[in-house]
Amino acid sequence: MNLIVTALFAVEDPSQTHHWLLPETAEIIYGGLASTIVFVGLYKFAGPMVKKSMKARTEKIQKELDGASSARSKSEVDAADIRRALGDIEAERKKILAEADTQAAAILVDGRARLVKEVAELEAKAVADLSAARGRSGEELRGEIARLSSAAISSAVAASLDDRAQQDLIEGFIKSVGASK
Amino acid sequence: MSDARIEAYSRALFEVAQAEGNLNIVEDELFRMARAIEANEKLRSTLTDATIPVARRQQVVEELLGGKASNTSIQLVSLIIGAGRGRELPAIVDRLVQRASSEQQREVAEVRSAVALSDDQTKRLAEALSKSTGRKLNLKVVVDPSILGGLVATVGDEVIDDTVRTRLEQLKTRI
Repeated sequence: MNLIVTALFAVEDPSQTHHWLLPETAEIIYGGLASTIVFVGLYKFAGPMVKKSMKARTEKIQKELDGASSARSKSEVDAADIRRALGDIEAERKKILAEADTQAAAILVDGRARLVKEVAELEAKAVADLSAARGRSGEELRGEIARLSSAAISSAVAASLDDRAQQDLIEGFIKSVGASK
Repeated sequence: MSDARIEAYSRALFEVAQAEGNLNIVEDELFRMARAIEANEKLRSTLTDATIPVARRQQVVEELLGGKASNTSIQLVSLIIGAGRGRELPAIVDRLVQRASSEQQREVAEVRSAVALSDDQTKRLAEALSKSTGRKLNLKVVVDPSILGGLVATVGDEVIDDTVRTRLEQLKTRI
């Protein structure tokens, strides 16, 4: 606040300067020359560095842009690969599922066929066993009948072999041997 | 027992029987004795049992044959038993019978019958077998009840079997 008041009073004071805004002419000239020299120096010495810096920055940015573009291209390629791979995976999944279905169907068919065959074999074996059992029973029965018959015949024959029968057998042997030559 | 030993014993029996002049009787009695030993397991084991003293076994023979066989036959069997050759007695006797038959130009014909044959039947049977085989035969009849009935004659390798036992066996086979 004090500074503003001081400035207003200074503008009103002609002894301080010929114009409240512009400096003295000499100061303008000296100041202008000094500024020109500074600008020329800056242009002469700092300009190339600035240009070089700007060029490097531009190249860096361009390089970054190129890298980004390359990365993008690569990403797009990768994305395409992934999409293709996804497509392949889907196809492979479908193929595997189809093969699994086929194998399952084949196993089912084989299993049914095997079961049918085993059942048929079991039935045939059961029938054969039954038949064999019947045959054995028949044979055992026939054997028993034959054994009993033989025993009965032997007993009957032995009982009938009295002395007369023995003599008849002996005489019959002698006659048959004497008749043969 | 080796064949040579059986042969030696049979030759000794033959010489003794021949010297005693009753070869036919002795070989016939010994033949029956041998068949009896073969058929009787108890008798066979008694006569061949080394744990029974020899004198006791000879006594069994004498008691068994006493009055049924000639003294020569009894003494010869006692000799065999005393020599510890009771097990080989049938083989020795068979060789003796063969030797005696050969001496008479005859072949041994063994006939088994369920019952004893009469002399007439034995004679007619010997004639019939001689006629049938065409050979002179020394007939030996063995009573063997196990054949039940009928006769079976063995002459060498030839067997004429007409026994009830064989017929029953055939019948059993057919049944």
